[in-house]
Amino acid sequence: MIKKLLIANRGEIVARITRTCREMGIKTVAVYSEADRDAAYLSTADEAVSIGPANPLLSYLNMAAIIAAAQTTNADAVHPGYGFLSERAIFAQAVSDAGLTWVGPSSTVMKRISSKCYCRHLADSADVPFIPGTMDPVNDPQEVVVFGRKHGYPLLLKLDKGGGGKGIERVDSEDQVEAVFQRACSIGNMAFGSSACYIEQLVHRPRHIEIQFVADNYGSCVLLGERECSIQRRHQKIIEEAPSVIVSDREREVLFEYARRMVRRMDYHGAGTLEGLRSEDGNYYFMEVNARLQVEHGVSEMLTDTDIVKCQLEIASGQPLHFRQEDVRMRGHAIEARIYAEDPDTFLPSPGKIVELQLPETGTNLRVDHALQANSSVPPYYDPLLAKVIAGGQNRTEARNHLIDALHQFRIEGIKTTITANLKILGHPKFEQGDFTTAFLEESFG
Amino acid sequence: MERKVDACVPGLCARVVVNEGDKVAKGQEVAVINCMKTEISVMSEWDGIVTKVLSKEWDELEVGTPMVVLEVPNGG
Repeated sequence: MIKKLLIANRGEIVARITRTCREMGIKTVAVYSEADRDAAYLSTADEAVSIGPANPLLSYLNMAAIIAAAQTTNADAVHPGYGFLSERAIFAQAVSDAGLTWVGPSSTVMKRISSKCYCRHLADSADVPFIPGTMDPVNDPQEVVVFGRKHGYPLLLKLDKGGGGKGIERVDSEDQVEAVFQRACSIGNMAFGSSACYIEQLVHRPRHIEIQFVADNYGSCVLLGERECSIQRRHQKIIEEAPSVIVSDREREVLFEYARRMVRRMDYHGAGTLEGLRSEDGNYYFMEVNARLQVEHGVSEMLTDTDIVKCQLEIASGQPLHFRQEDVRMRGHAIEARIYAEDPDTFLPSPGKIVELQLPETGTNLRVDHALQANSSVPPYYDPLLAKVIAGGQNRTEARNHLIDALHQFRIEGIKTTITANLKILGHPKFEQGDFTTAFLEESFG
Repeated sequence: MERKVDACVPGLCARVVVNEGDKVAKGQEVAVINCMKTEISVMSEWDGIVTKVLSKEWDELEVGTPMVVLEVPNGG
């Protein structure tokens, strides 16, 4: 079993991972940049090591500094959290090469599935439906024109190696093809080191549905239900829930079967997520694999009473999963609100100093994962996520009311936060009825 | 006279989109700041000529950090 884990990340996820490690008797090492030197969450780890200046390129993205920190503290494993280096196959390889355990799927698997076209071929061979389009990257704008004439517009140009809501460009007509193609290639080269892009037909007014899985090294793959993450701003999630009101029991079984087939073919060991879309007419399309822990994993944990980080650590240690599919019970409902350091109307960033702080009281049906502290700074260099508030209940209404109550109990002064936006969404009649798509925020609040 | 275009928000310099010698107009984007992973445009408040670019990609910026120097006829 892992004895000492280094967490190559910052913010709330550090506190989330150290909590499970404490329960499992695993020592923890946090790393920090100069901007996070005084951060409160660092005290949740047994040790904390400075890895460089505020600039993430020189700290949280600095593979050599992180591996050196693991070696000087005698850590025997590295958990990448989410974001930063979590999906870089080259980092997973460097960790393994340094003789450390990587908490995640193998670098070979990570490298393969970082290509969306690879995943499309995989889905095709596993007989899992995926969004119609090209199987491989297109070579020039003319191929896009030919596709458009055959299948119509609008269509999406997507970067094969894109991610995080970046690298998705919409083409509405033939005269836009040339310019959009060039833009997609340029973004790809700059942000992802690859200009390869392929075509997807647009799924109108979809809902975002994803499946959480954990797979061990001994052929066991357990599905922890679906999550609905349709409420998004700038292609990034803000409210998530499990189960989804739109997924029927029969559909869930079908999605589970798709997931099992995909996981088996990927030869994937660890926790991961299969992201997909559900079209207005009820068809499901596989979209991509996220080879890491996701921000919103907590709703699945509350729904199924499991600990996904614990599963990750056990699998990485070579142990079999300690439960089977038939042991997983999905009870009630769970909803998560992400509190961002942003203006609640414009969603523009709001870094600064927290001068006053009050948090709700947590319990069985209310969990708050956060990195907040009074009189501390929220630096402008990193992701604006401040806290995840996860509320549960016997049904969706109860969970929603519980979450609304909890958000009302927060008091964060000094910076703007999305709390009032979260409350507006949760109080909207369409949200209450479960009647929404990924266009919800745009359509309901402009 | 010389005018400086300053960072309007804190963060990291994503890119400066003008070069020395370029003519810029009032309201034109001269640089982009990555603040909490969101890209924010930095606009020139004057018509002028770029005489110096002070920021580069990944530089840490505070509000008011000068990013670009302009020569502005009559001070703008």
